[in-house]
Amino acid sequence: MKILATYNIKGGVGKTAAAVNLAHRAAAGGQRVLVWDLDPQGAATFYFRVKPKVKGGGEALVSGRRELDRAIKGTDFDNLDLVPADFSYRNLDLLLDEAKKPLGRLGKLLAPLRGDYDYVVLDCPPSISLASEAVFRASHALIVPVIPTTLSLRTFDQLDAFVQDNPDVVKKLRVLGFFSMVDGRKKLHHEQIAELRARRPDLLDSQIPAATDVERMGVHRGPVATYAPNSRAAKAYAALWAEIAERL
Amino acid sequence: MRLSELRRFVVVADGDPATLFAAVAERAGLVEVDSTNVRRVFLDTADGRFRARGTTVELRTPARARKAPMFVWSSSDTGETLASFALPDGAPTPRFVSDLPPSPATERLAETMEMRALLPQAEVMSRLTTLTLQDAEGKTTVRVVLDRSRLRGPAALPAIVELQPVRGYERDALRVAALLDAQVTLQPLDRALVDLVRDSVGAPTYLSSKLKVSLDPTSVAETAWRDVLSVLATAMSDNLEGTRADTDSEFLHDFRVAVRRTRSVLQEGRGVLSDDARDHWRQEFKWLGDVTTPTRDADVHLLDFPALMATLAPERAADLEPLHQLLLDHQRTSQLQLVADLASPRYTALVSGWESFLGAAWPNAGPEAILPAQSVAAARLATAWKRVVRDGRRIDDASPAEALHDLRKDAKRLRYLLECFGSLFDAADVGVVVKALKSLQDCLGEFQDTEVQAMSLAGFGDELISRGDATAVTLLAMGGVVEHLDERGRSARCRFSERFRAFDHPDTRQVFRRLIDVPEDTDR
Repeated sequence: MKILATYNIKGGVGKTAAAVNLAHRAAAGGQRVLVWDLDPQGAATFYFRVKPKVKGGGEALVSGRRELDRAIKGTDFDNLDLVPADFSYRNLDLLLDEAKKPLGRLGKLLAPLRGDYDYVVLDCPPSISLASEAVFRASHALIVPVIPTTLSLRTFDQLDAFVQDNPDVVKKLRVLGFFSMVDGRKKLHHEQIAELRARRPDLLDSQIPAATDVERMGVHRGPVATYAPNSRAAKAYAALWAEIAERL
Repeated sequence: MRLSELRRFVVVADGDPATLFAAVAERAGLVEVDSTNVRRVFLDTADGRFRARGTTVELRTPARARKAPMFVWSSSDTGETLASFALPDGAPTPRFVSDLPPSPATERLAETMEMRALLPQAEVMSRLTTLTLQDAEGKTTVRVVLDRSRLRGPAALPAIVELQPVRGYERDALRVAALLDAQVTLQPLDRALVDLVRDSVGAPTYLSSKLKVSLDPTSVAETAWRDVLSVLATAMSDNLEGTRADTDSEFLHDFRVAVRRTRSVLQEGRGVLSDDARDHWRQEFKWLGDVTTPTRDADVHLLDFPALMATLAPERAADLEPLHQLLLDHQRTSQLQLVADLASPRYTALVSGWESFLGAAWPNAGPEAILPAQSVAAARLATAWKRVVRDGRRIDDASPAEALHDLRKDAKRLRYLLECFGSLFDAADVGVVVKALKSLQDCLGEFQDTEVQAMSLAGFGDELISRGDATAVTLLAMGGVVEHLDERGRSARCRFSERFRAFDHPDTRQVFRRLIDVPEDTDR
């Protein structure tokens, strides 16, 4: 079971859209996938039409009073399950802080599901905190959407610096960045992409366009491939997943 | 991905099942979301491995769309989808694991399939109507599928209603299940569609590698020997076509096991069969065993090839490709020869002669033929056991490899006796002894097989050089594999004394003595 986390320090970069569409794509390819919506805003949970509620809240899960297994909901798609968001996740830092060995906590909660899933996708809230560090420790890879703008590039560098400087926290982590919300008409995007690709050849080749089809996820409440299977965006997520699976 | 239990029903009333079901669906609040015609080909291995694990594999192709088939693997008990993916466009029907796209799902399929081929079991055209119960968010909480399938032939299939619970929404599933349970037009069905289809078309039963022989403990030796040999003759016949067609390597493997067991039973038949008959048939089955050996050897090398490759660093794995090609050539050539041997007058005479021999009373049967089968088999088991114990105890760290190889033969003889005549004795005791013996055999097998493989690789190296196919990197890679095999052999040799001690444990000896009802000092 590989654990991936869609993550960025910055919000609004296409993180949840990536989590939902990549998980859907992986499941459509025959993999057993679990999405854990760790963001108290619950956007991934909304896209899957599930109520953002976990019995006992984040406290019950983190303390081990309630097994993660019992919080899982089947989505409308084969081989794709969800642990929904809960508003109490806004206090995840505090809850983890009170737990023993907080950094290893998420990994420990997921360990009993090892035989049940091929991939777990953690959709993380934007921040860098104890909760993010626990995600880093649990994950095999961070899937990092990067908008080709100066500020986004800067936060990507910050994340990278954190990962390089804290090997005690991250241990087995790989950082897989990809360009998100790319607007092909903007000269600035082309320039920024060229610059960062030259500096970071390890970035994934696939990039996700800034497309109305992605924005419509909120209207259709589902992955792009379910309502626009032949769209550029659906194809881009498929290519991105193929690349990530290959790298892993 | 555990789900609560799936419920399956047969629609038993006359009339259009869709109309009949519509009223029930309305009361349950189910809404139709999809209705599709699909061609479904059910697949399984010749020995029904997927069915044995309570799962179903099928290829689903939409009837009117030009779409690639979906490969669907599901639990027959819960309806849970274990893997579902579209096959690449234009891809042929997958037969082996290597024909499926590499992925964790394929790795899980491989655990069940191993080296066996997926074979079509039955084909139906189905109209699948999906109805769902949705909550206020528009989320599906229960799925019900009305399955109207028909065969190509005249046999009819009943319409089936399947309630598929969604994880985390079990309460809704229970509510719908209660409603369906209360319908007089629906009768619970505890079988999967594939089983109904197989019954309707009279599909052959799945083969089994396990020897299923049930002997009468009160029978005389001639009857028991004849019964065992007849079951083995059937096993050979069951696996003959797959062996000829090279459907997968297990057909030949099981064919050979039946031949080896036959030879062993004949060997143990001294005093039961006449000496002339025994000598003649032992000679014929030795020939049959011998003609199948080259193909089996080639199969084994090819089956082991991925494991051998895995012993090398990934970037060096391609260096073994010339060896792979050589092994494929060996397999092709030996298979052609095997097919010719199985079409030869000698083979035809063997089969018909053997059938006649087993079907008639044995003239000039040996003096033990009329003795109770149990006592004759017990005496053979005692002899075989004593030999394993005696030879095993003589082996120490300084013993030559041949001593272990000889012990492997002794152990195999004992194992065959237990498998063929075990049903004359207490099943639980036989199980204990076989388990102890199997552990010892695995160790001895690993020791000899790694040695034989290493020697074969040396021979293949020479052959590659003489063919002009050997490059330095290939020979170096093969050298790396040989080193690894040597290491595995050494490790098996180290485990031997521990495994033998476990086999020769007073507790196992006690069970064995009880099994064949002999005094305390039989194995001392």
